[in-house]
Amino acid sequence: MEEQMVETDVLCIGGGIAGLMAAIRASELGAKVVVAEKGHALHSGRGRDGNDHFETYIPEVHGIDRAAFIEELLRTAKGEVSLSHEIFRAQFAKAFDIVKLWDSWGIPMKYKGKWEFAGHSFPGRAMTHIKYSGHMQKKVLIQQAIDRGVEIMNRVMGFELLRDGDGIIGALAAHTREDKVIVFRAKAVILATGKCSRLYPSLTPGWMFNDPHGGGVTGDGRAMAYRVGAQLHNVEMPQRHIGPKYFPKFGQATWVGVLKDAQGKPVGTFAPKPDRKYGDMIMEVNKLVCEQYTQSGKGPVYMDCTDMTDEDYEYMMYWMVQEGNISLLDHMKEEGIDIRRHPIEFATYPLRFGGLIVANAGAETNLKGLYAAGDEAFGDISAAATFGWIGGENAARYAKEIEAPDVERHRATIEEKKISLDRLRGRQEGPDWEEANIALQQVMYDYAGSVRNKALLQQGLSHLQRLKKKIDTTMIARNPHELAHCLEVLNMFELGELVFIMALDRKETRSLHVRPDYPFTNPLLDQAHIIQTMDGKPVIQWKPF
Amino acid sequence: MPPIIDSSECTACGRCVEICAEDVFYGSKKGEIPIVTYPRECVHCSCCVYECPVGAIRVRIPLPAMTVYKPTQEKSQ
Repeated sequence: MEEQMVETDVLCIGGGIAGLMAAIRASELGAKVVVAEKGHALHSGRGRDGNDHFETYIPEVHGIDRAAFIEELLRTAKGEVSLSHEIFRAQFAKAFDIVKLWDSWGIPMKYKGKWEFAGHSFPGRAMTHIKYSGHMQKKVLIQQAIDRGVEIMNRVMGFELLRDGDGIIGALAAHTREDKVIVFRAKAVILATGKCSRLYPSLTPGWMFNDPHGGGVTGDGRAMAYRVGAQLHNVEMPQRHIGPKYFPKFGQATWVGVLKDAQGKPVGTFAPKPDRKYGDMIMEVNKLVCEQYTQSGKGPVYMDCTDMTDEDYEYMMYWMVQEGNISLLDHMKEEGIDIRRHPIEFATYPLRFGGLIVANAGAETNLKGLYAAGDEAFGDISAAATFGWIGGENAARYAKEIEAPDVERHRATIEEKKISLDRLRGRQEGPDWEEANIALQQVMYDYAGSVRNKALLQQGLSHLQRLKKKIDTTMIARNPHELAHCLEVLNMFELGELVFIMALDRKETRSLHVRPDYPFTNPLLDQAHIIQTMDGKPVIQWKPF
Repeated sequence: MPPIIDSSECTACGRCVEICAEDVFYGSKKGEIPIVTYPRECVHCSCCVYECPVGAIRVRIPLPAMTVYKPTQEKSQ
């Protein structure tokens, strides 16, 4: 396996919103910055094809009391993750600055010259999200990064961090088009690898890339962070989403319609008729609503926009494009589906991994020189942009203070990793990444799915560990593209194992972690559930938020 | 299988090969009409369709991903 050495002050792993914002800010502060992106930065991450909502506090709109805005947010919590007040305070102290910055860079953050608040908010309560025209956001952010001297290396998948003492000194990456390992010597590393889309089966199990995130995000950052001793939390707490059936897309708040049953009766109480300002908040109150209707014999459930005005139709179509749903619109057009006449069936999307790296309001982890931002540690576009920026700033400052690290001291580790890649590439027969991924998905679905208990979890864990042992010695990669997928699958096996370990340890039912053997929510466990490896063994602790 | 390249229109500029995040065109050669090596990894984002300078690409949505809708509703109802 050929080797390339790259030296940099700051390495961003992942070229999504968070990774690019971190790179832009770190570079602005004088650091040499490289972004390693395993796909292509123009269309990667959760902002890959666009977004239309940005959560922000705006003094001229919400009043000068920022704390009151945060209180309101927490009271009407719609968030995907449990984050501390400290995190919210940091986000909303900065988010509006980012809004203005993006607007000045050419991402239109206003609509018809004004801040347009709509969606993700309850009628009668504070509006928390502005609409923005994010369809071309990645192009703009890439240009901003390049203008500041950032080097973007596409088709480069970071897969292992290099740790020296209590700090991170670089990372190893695999090229996805050539048999080449890249050794990054970096003073600071920012992990921003996004969500994890292929741990559980997709809505269309035979087509595992058919996922609202795209199929390329596989939790690589969490897995590599865990392996070197960073803390993870929320690992066993799955997430669900809701959207069009069989063509999974984000943008629930972009639809101007009412979620209704087959008889035309609204399933929620928030939206009696299509409302462009609020959408239908039932989808945020209960993402399981479609699944519950189906399972109880009341389904299917439809997004019904048939009562919308012509103006609302134009409005929604504009924002669907900005949200990145242009291919869905093209598909509906091609099929003769017109949302003004045809209710669209909505589904609760399958479970997905909800684990995060533990990072503070400075995007710092428990390891020196290691930062995490975006879906890696927080969630949503506003948080990705804000903590990417903050993380980039802190990483650049840290890099200024320390000497260039010596990765050659870890030559044995580097060689060992290269040999493991050579083995994957050298084997002629055995399961490929796809076979291994399917086996993983089925054990996650069956044993760590929507209902769990001790016996199921123990059985699932032992089967997963058996599979893991097998793929460690038998998996094959026919080319560098498949090699990258193998590394993804190995990362997901690692994360899957942690889901089982943490789900066994959480002896309660909470949110989507449903354990009939512990049917109640234990208020004493209203804390962060943290796992990290120490001396090669997982160590679990509970810590107040 | 998505995407489909019209070889009579394609100029082999390589833009789609360059930008596809999933790299479904893996193994395509410079200066030649791209090949769709991994169609099942296509996430039908259609970025290749919109980036193609001559409009030579269309995406065929696979049958399992087809949107489900209620066909009979009329606006007057």
